Amino acid sequence: MSQPRIVAAVEIGTSKIAVLLGKLEGNTNLEIVGHSLSTSKGVKKGEIRDLRAVSDCVHSALGSAEGKSPQRIDEVYLALSGRHLEGNFNTGTATVSDAAGRVRQIDIDQARADAKRRELAEGRSYIHHIQNPFLLDGRPLRNPIEQEGRRLEVGYWSVHADTAQVRNCLRIIKGYGMDVSDMVISSVASGSVLVEAAEKDVGALVIDIGGGTTDWVLYRGGFIVRTGVIAVGGDHINNDLSAGLRTGPKSAEQIKVEYGRAYYESSDRNEKVWLFGDYTIGDREFPKAAVTRIIEARVTEIFEIIKAEIKKADFFNPSEIASGVVLTGGTARLEGLDQVAEKVLGVPVRFADFQPGLNPELRKPEYTPVIGLLDYALQGQEHAGNKRGGGLLGGLFDILGINRREDEF
Amino acid sequence: MDEVPQEDLALESQLRIKVIGLGGGGSNVLAGIDRTRYPQVEYSIVNTDSQALVQSPVDSKVLVGRSVTRGLGAGGDPEIGSQAIATDRAALEGLVAGADLLILVVGLGGGTGTVAAALLAELGTAAGAIVLTFATQPFTFEGSRRREVANAGLSELRGKVHGLVPVPNDLLLQETDESETALSAFAVADQWIGRGIHSICAMLFETGVINQDFGALRGLLQGLGGKTIFATGAATGGDYITNALRDLLDCPLLHTTERPKQLDRILVHLVAGPEMGLSKMQQLMTQIGSHFESNEEILFGAVIDPERTESLEVCLLAKVELESAARKASGGDTDRAREPMETEQGLGLEGFISTQKEKPPVHESKLSKKRKKAATDQDEFLFVDLEAQRGYFDQTDQNLYNNEDLDVPTYLRKGIKIKLK
Repeated sequence: MSQPRIVAAVEIGTSKIAVLLGKLEGNTNLEIVGHSLSTSKGVKKGEIRDLRAVSDCVHSALGSAEGKSPQRIDEVYLALSGRHLEGNFNTGTATVSDAAGRVRQIDIDQARADAKRRELAEGRSYIHHIQNPFLLDGRPLRNPIEQEGRRLEVGYWSVHADTAQVRNCLRIIKGYGMDVSDMVISSVASGSVLVEAAEKDVGALVIDIGGGTTDWVLYRGGFIVRTGVIAVGGDHINNDLSAGLRTGPKSAEQIKVEYGRAYYESSDRNEKVWLFGDYTIGDREFPKAAVTRIIEARVTEIFEIIKAEIKKADFFNPSEIASGVVLTGGTARLEGLDQVAEKVLGVPVRFADFQPGLNPELRKPEYTPVIGLLDYALQGQEHAGNKRGGGLLGGLFDILGINRREDEF
Repeated sequence: MDEVPQEDLALESQLRIKVIGLGGGGSNVLAGIDRTRYPQVEYSIVNTDSQALVQSPVDSKVLVGRSVTRGLGAGGDPEIGSQAIATDRAALEGLVAGADLLILVVGLGGGTGTVAAALLAELGTAAGAIVLTFATQPFTFEGSRRREVANAGLSELRGKVHGLVPVPNDLLLQETDESETALSAFAVADQWIGRGIHSICAMLFETGVINQDFGALRGLLQGLGGKTIFATGAATGGDYITNALRDLLDCPLLHTTERPKQLDRILVHLVAGPEMGLSKMQQLMTQIGSHFESNEEILFGAVIDPERTESLEVCLLAKVELESAARKASGGDTDRAREPMETEQGLGLEGFISTQKEKPPVHESKLSKKRKKAATDQDEFLFVDLEAQRGYFDQTDQNLYNNEDLDVPTYLRKGIKIKLK
């Protein structure tokens, strides 16, 4: 059909900036033509703190990825994270207006509009309105059209962001001479590639523990029912180790990589490890238990918070997370993280698999959200062929049950 | 201490130090420290709870707000606390009058201490005193309400005092064995704060082998606000010098998330036994110096205590000004002198002998040209990215979840003991 487009998927993470260039051709053809993963500067806990530094990092990452590609970038998709992201569950209702009592499009539109009417506080903007199932007289339905009933209800998990943070992201991409075509929150982007449709139907929880944030998304009955961001990640483990072991952040990171385990075992008390291990002055020995206890406390807390958040929404029922938990993100490299997650959440846990056939260079958890973004871009393209108009993006998010409000950032 | 007429000694020294314990927490700390070592220091406690006052071994007691609480305490309610305090403003004014150095000790999170500390700080600074505050923060397990009150109190106090040393109680659990009770955790706080107070007194009341005076302390703390870092270490016997250094560097107060990497001014003070020679002291100081980054030359002081053998106590007090003030203050200050008067007195025994009579001067002391130059040279490092000078999450917003700051290490908040040996 149309000309091939080069879509750049970008995630500005706390520790890494991931850029993936995809060549989208026809309905289903996605070829990855460039990628770069570089160290991020000026981001803490998922939020931009030094615009200049972040900008430079992103531009050089985009430049390096584009350099490998035979074509220039046509569009940019952005993954969003950070503590500033929050969500509300809003419901909207409509009384079925047809005399015969059948649901028409106008009723659906009215219920949707009702659900999205909630105004946000100053300085906040909606990113997604993620649609949940319709209820027709209390009966859950995927598509209520032409169904008989009197009262139609629809719920949305609406994710909103700090406008200034989002505006900064857009400004950074603008500085590279591009506009952002769309934004998807990181957890949703990762989830879209890590769990299959069938798993989403029976319930799944995807947890991405990165450097500065932990992003999660809960699927139930095929819908995204909740998402969340906790501003805690691998940096916190480093900081905890640095405080507990009285050492600098660099050697804390080194110790985490070398001796770190997500849980404590009693044998750790007798095993000694060296702080630097290089016979330099100031090197000292301490029990491995110090390392594993510090890490265990932190990662346990992360999973406990997720559990509490899901409980708060009254969705915590292990049988409804039947396909279990999928762990991803840089911190998922930590030995035994799955065991701690399983212990706290009480559901089976697995580490994310990479798609078969994926370029070995892209087999890093940091690339997962941007792969998800390209997937979104592709599905949008696919849909564009048979849509009724109304713009590419509207269609893209309709098909996924996700709407983005047309806010001017 | 009861036999010594305090007023007489205090008059003799001219320098008046008042240590005031506020509320239940602050009073308890004062009860737990040795108040006889420096009789020149005036200790008193202030509370709304008359029973607690009666039971306290501290001699000078001030009951405030009798008309509001009928002497029954503020019940942890800062509203009641501030009403109570307001009724006895005059008594508190009298309490701080004439002090050169006011050391406030307060347990944050309750009803009386926090508000009393804020008022005394105001009165003290208005009366021209340097105000240094040790403020303990409640254990995380004490719940979010106390924590909220404590956090609010801490930020209110920060702008009103010259030095504010927060002592998170969560840290104390790290210092005790699992089998020990909460009381022994509090004893650690008493010990730290007590050492801090004694160390300052030793510096001000004794002529050290390396002498520091009140001018040095005033120069260190200078303006209101900013961050104050305090740490202490001690060791006895064996390889006590190395061990004391290790103990200082391991002091949990140095390893809170709040600690900025680069400090503006640092003062290190030693109390050692007579067998510790000057050369060993210099060695130790060089080693300490290599562990801290400061915008100005680190000030060292050392006092010999003849009652110690192979025993060393080190205290570090440092200040970081708020960002905007940091550069200006550091730039201008190098001209003003707060340099140590290096009285080399052999092994330091003579230093002790001369201690009793000679009181250190209270004002500015000598300039050492060499040191001044070194300090000026450091100016060029001031323009290092400020963000990089701070602790990792220092410049970010608090990461609150259920009123707990998630940036603070989990093991500290949960009271999980980490053994390094």
